[in-house]
Amino acid sequence: MSVVPVYRPRATPMHAARAGASGAFCASLALVALLYENPLVLGGALAATVVAAVGARAGRELARAAWVALPLALLIVAVNALVSQGGATVIARLGSFLGRRYDVTLEALAAGGAAALRIVALVAVCGLFSAAVDPDEIVRSLRRFGYRSALTAALACRLVPLLARDAARMSDAARCRPSPPGRVELVRAALGGALERSLDLAAALEVRGYAGARRPARTRRPWSRHDLAFLAAAAAIAALAIAARAAGAAGFAPYPTTSLDAGAAEAGLAAALALAAALPFAAPGARLGVARA
Amino acid sequence: MPEPILLAEGFGYRYPDAAAPVLRDISLAIEPGSFVVLAGESGSGKSTLLRAACGLVPHFHGGEASGRFEVAGMSLRDHGPRELARVCGTVFQDPETQVVMGGVRAEIALALEHRGEPLAAVARAVEEAALALGIAHLLDRRVDTLSGGELQRVALAAAVAHRPSLLLLDEPTSQLDPVAGDELLWLLRRLNEDFATTVVIAEHRLERCLSAADRVIALDRGRLACDAAPEDFLAWAVEERPALATPAARMFSLAGLRPLPASVKQARSRLEGAGLAPGGADGGPQGARPGRSRRRGGPPPAAELRGVWHELRSGGAVLRGVSLRLEAGERVALMGRNGAGKSTLLRHLKGLAEPTRGRIERAGEVALLLQTPGDYLVHERVDQEAGADALAAAGLEGRGGASPRDLSGGERQRLALEIVLAAGEPAVLCLDEPTRGMDRAWKSALAERLGRVAAAGSAVIVATHDSEFAARFADRVVLLGEGEVIADGTPAEVLSGGWYFATEVARVLGGAGGALTPEEGLEILGRELVR
Repeated sequence: MSVVPVYRPRATPMHAARAGASGAFCASLALVALLYENPLVLGGALAATVVAAVGARAGRELARAAWVALPLALLIVAVNALVSQGGATVIARLGSFLGRRYDVTLEALAAGGAAALRIVALVAVCGLFSAAVDPDEIVRSLRRFGYRSALTAALACRLVPLLARDAARMSDAARCRPSPPGRVELVRAALGGALERSLDLAAALEVRGYAGARRPARTRRPWSRHDLAFLAAAAAIAALAIAARAAGAAGFAPYPTTSLDAGAAEAGLAAALALAAALPFAAPGARLGVARA
Repeated sequence: MPEPILLAEGFGYRYPDAAAPVLRDISLAIEPGSFVVLAGESGSGKSTLLRAACGLVPHFHGGEASGRFEVAGMSLRDHGPRELARVCGTVFQDPETQVVMGGVRAEIALALEHRGEPLAAVARAVEEAALALGIAHLLDRRVDTLSGGELQRVALAAAVAHRPSLLLLDEPTSQLDPVAGDELLWLLRRLNEDFATTVVIAEHRLERCLSAADRVIALDRGRLACDAAPEDFLAWAVEERPALATPAARMFSLAGLRPLPASVKQARSRLEGAGLAPGGADGGPQGARPGRSRRRGGPPPAAELRGVWHELRSGGAVLRGVSLRLEAGERVALMGRNGAGKSTLLRHLKGLAEPTRGRIERAGEVALLLQTPGDYLVHERVDQEAGADALAAAGLEGRGGASPRDLSGGERQRLALEIVLAAGEPAVLCLDEPTRGMDRAWKSALAERLGRVAAAGSAVIVATHDSEFAARFADRVVLLGEGEVIADGTPAEVLSGGWYFATEVARVLGGAGGALTPEEGLEILGRELVR
């Protein structure tokens, strides 16, 4: 099973929406994570992502993404605590090394925690995007602007699991040899295999007319209720995030002593984000037209 | 007479840096609407000829081309794959390396979108191609969830969606089980008959496709060796290249019967016409009891599986309580359709996977040659892969300085086999689909080598779809279905009475006398003659 979530068509409103709409929905959640450091709001964005993942039946994929993000998050907290010497509340003195004193402050831990939460929220949104937004449709919509780049991206997406499978096969073959080869030989052989595969794929593209590819025709597809619902949710989330930011709400200053806005406005913003993310899945008629999967 | 869709006159081609040309002085003309089979041993130039027909040779691969080569009136000199793609659809051996997009619908639409077709035309062509090839139910699936047979059908649909007048296929069934392979050939026949698509297919297992062919073109070391109707080709093959003759044709030839049959149906009717139709078996596989235990109480087995299960976390089971005892020196063919559990069983024998229930006992080392022999070759030079003795056993003396990636498929496989055998004779030698894409000469050499390993005391178990190879090599055939042993017996018992898991001779003779090979078939026919 791949660590990176893989798109699977499912009977959910998010899968039924066009890729542009569901992609915009994910982008709006990512925007919240990028705009704010406030843990309450980041928690709201994360909750909104979880709600959407459950609605899109991608909870398992999201959990896998979280497994990738958690070690990274812990690393960020640990490194920030050691490297950042700001903060007034020292909670541990680690002594001196190479003429520099190392103290761990509560504020550095808090700042690291907020940065880690932001990373977890972003990775979760990426996981939701990978699991619930059709990459072929995204590529098709991008082709009008950069055909070859879009196709290269599609090929890269397709090659990643293939090469992972090749590597697993080669590793099995190595275990079957009486004297298993070293890692260097294996990596070199895997790279050689990847080049062979790339050549085969290039040949396959050539015989399917890639060299003479023209800009695809414009797509005119009627807007479904799901397209509109996800675009509206994306607009609402983005508008909420930008407006609250412009109004100066949800501040967070870790140093020298941590100051965190955690009033009704912030709680309301976090709740509103989760609610906006839930609406496309829970609104009346949200199940209409999603049986095809 | 219509203009030929493919015309070659004195065509030759040499790959860049190659010492010798791979195609020499090829002259042929293929008429529109014909079904042409390209025959020839490995390295005879079949794939290169197909690559020339779609413009990859020389425009993609480089090298030197000489002579005249035209496809639909377009000269290869002036037109490359870009222009030829409008009239050609191409399907390669491995569907994994020709599928580009993540979804089936997007994959089939790709060539049409390259041509800038309007959306409605693309949608219609995708639907029509999917319906014509019976894959409409797969349109919303992701390609990584498809079986090999389904993926190859998707690749075929993607190749024909723009209605090419010429369809080129390079051993499209070599990765498929007999069922999926026959289905694919049936689809090709339908494309040819219903839509007048010219089909040119390179194939090793000629018995599969000769019945559909109008014509067979045989290549030998890059030269045109025969260009004739299937029956005339067979008459040429039994005299000049017996390795290219189908089993039924060889049986007829041994019995002195003419004309030689290009299909099972023809063979049966000709035998009936000659009053030689033997009484068939009583229908269905004969005397092949599932999971039977052999020689209990005798010498200890080379390996034994006892109630082995392989259950998946995601649900379902690949192996369901398999019990199998392998005796020293035994030659076992493990058969079954794709997904039946053959590879998983071999991985369990080797210890690459642990049973979720059940036990495996091994009398010693287990050697396993997996499906892709190239995976075993990790060094830069052949002589770094194995010692001099192993290279000699693989027939690669004098090739020690070559790169393993420059070896042919058969050479890679022989070398990989010697690599896994390098530690000495194992208690069990397992091989997973070793005959994929191999010609008959390679298969015979492999059967001989495996016979020597078995004679030295190792149990040899080969997972294969190739009934002809199983009949030649094995003294026992185990048939798996849905992870269970559904038949276990001698080759005659298991392979003579089935439809798919049967040799061509067995199908011609209706399983009579358990005859599987042309020589055994001759014996049966001889008895009929005496009567």
